[in-house]
Amino acid sequence: MSTTTTNKLPVDIITGFLGSGKTTLLGNILKEGGFEDASVIINEYGLAGLDHRLIRRINERTTLLAGGCVCCNRREDLILELNDMLNACQSGELSLDRVIVETTGLANPAPMLFSILTHPALMHHYFIETVVVCLDCVNGEAHIRDNQESVKQIAAADKVIITKTDIGTPEMADNLRVSVARINPTAVILEAADGIAPRSIFTPAPVSGLPWRQTPAPQAKPGKPEHTSGVRNIAIQFDEPLDWLAFGIWLSMLLHKHGEKMLRVKGIVDVGEKGPIAINGVQHIIHPPTHLDDWRGYETRNSQIVFIMRDIEPERIMDSLMAFQRLIGAHPEIQEINMNPLA
Amino acid sequence: MCVLCGELVLNVHWTDQKAHDLEYGAAGGGEVQRNRRRDRIRRVQYANNILSFYGLNLADWNGSKYILSDKKGNQKIVGDLGEMWPEAQKACGRGLDPLDPALLEYLRAQDEHVHVHHDHE
Ligand SMILES: Nc1nc2c(ncn2[C@@H]2O[C@H](COP(=O)(O)OP(=O)(O)OP(=O)(O)O)[C@@H](O)[C@H]2O)c(=O)[nH]1
Ligand SMILES: [Zn+2]
Repeated sequence: MSTTTTNKLPVDIITGFLGSGKTTLLGNILKEGGFEDASVIINEYGLAGLDHRLIRRINERTTLLAGGCVCCNRREDLILELNDMLNACQSGELSLDRVIVETTGLANPAPMLFSILTHPALMHHYFIETVVVCLDCVNGEAHIRDNQESVKQIAAADKVIITKTDIGTPEMADNLRVSVARINPTAVILEAADGIAPRSIFTPAPVSGLPWRQTPAPQAKPGKPEHTSGVRNIAIQFDEPLDWLAFGIWLSMLLHKHGEKMLRVKGIVDVGEKGPIAINGVQHIIHPPTHLDDWRGYETRNSQIVFIMRDIEPERIMDSLMAFQRLIGAHPEIQEINMNPLA
Repeated sequence: MCVLCGELVLNVHWTDQKAHDLEYGAAGGGEVQRNRRRDRIRRVQYANNILSFYGLNLADWNGSKYILSDKKGNQKIVGDLGEMWPEAQKACGRGLDPLDPALLEYLRAQDEHVHVHHDHE
């Protein structure tokens, strides 16, 4: 698709709260075939009945880096394992076409992204394909309500799988869809009953057809208690092309200062070229921006960026972009704003 | 890649990715060099619009690095924006915040200045 992902091996991350059905789902997907050359990395604790040729168990070992930011920590265990695989691959002992990492339930995906995307060797050999988050149909609402980690995982997700719909009601699943979409309007939401999800969950959703354009904004749920998780999001559109250099200055400045609160930045940027640039960031970490070859699949040529943040009012992002607009070269417009997605 | 831990990153900062892609892409060598130089000059200009608010200044250094200096003449060489923000923060003793109303006011005032200038033309 682009120069940044060719010749790199995809890494898929599957996460979700304790007992949300990650192992069950993964076990069933692996049985479907087509994963003969995939390696699966799981945490030492998660032993539940995975049956696959290439299972590697790792012990979560995080190196805290100076700066004290929780997202910018190195997962040494993961780095070591991915390095080993690379070596085995290069010496011909291993044929590898994909790595799937199942995390522990409380894991924040950001340090894994950080570890891979900033490692001087790994960054040239792996790319993060999809972050999948499992959310229990019956208990998901409570996890979102009571657990910041769960909210962070959803914000970092490319796809959210509502699991165990066989023991939940359709209404539960619908409510959960609304809750997920309000935290992360960019996430593709799928459902899985009896632990079965299509293998395509790891296929990246096309950057075109951004989900928040396809579905109308979810309506507020009446009668729900006010909640103060402080997670909000805003979708901003620019109709004129942006100056990529100026935008890079603005975004890198924003993330340097507020990265811990910026749970996600995702979107497409029209920089006045043949195709847009897809940007994807989780906290301080920005994936290498992807240059798309053309505008195929887009109805209109413009920039659309979603920001998901905690404890920052979305209007402040907008105000900042307004003040920066001469530099950035385009006038921002609010497309959708979600002040209190968990209310 | 991590803007906070920028100094750990030995590779292309994401804000330089476009130039990087071009270098390995189809465009011919000479043109790539020219684009790269133009981009660096523009980046320095843009950054200085912001840095001037903090009494800092950025300049290109040999087309490969940047020099960040403060009013007292202290200088620091940085490789990319990932390295620049932490150094700028150290130099002025506070975080540079793109959401800071005072900075935004400053930028808007620059805009007005530009408009007035145009009116006279
Ligand atoms: N009814 C039903 N039960 C499920 C489904 N998926 C998983 N379970 C059950 O839920 C429990 C937890 O499933 P796991 O797959 O181990 O969940 P996990 O997220 O890997 O759990 P940890 O690794 O411990 O965090 C098990 O008892 C599963 O049998 C499902 O789709 N339907
Ligand atoms: Zn960080």
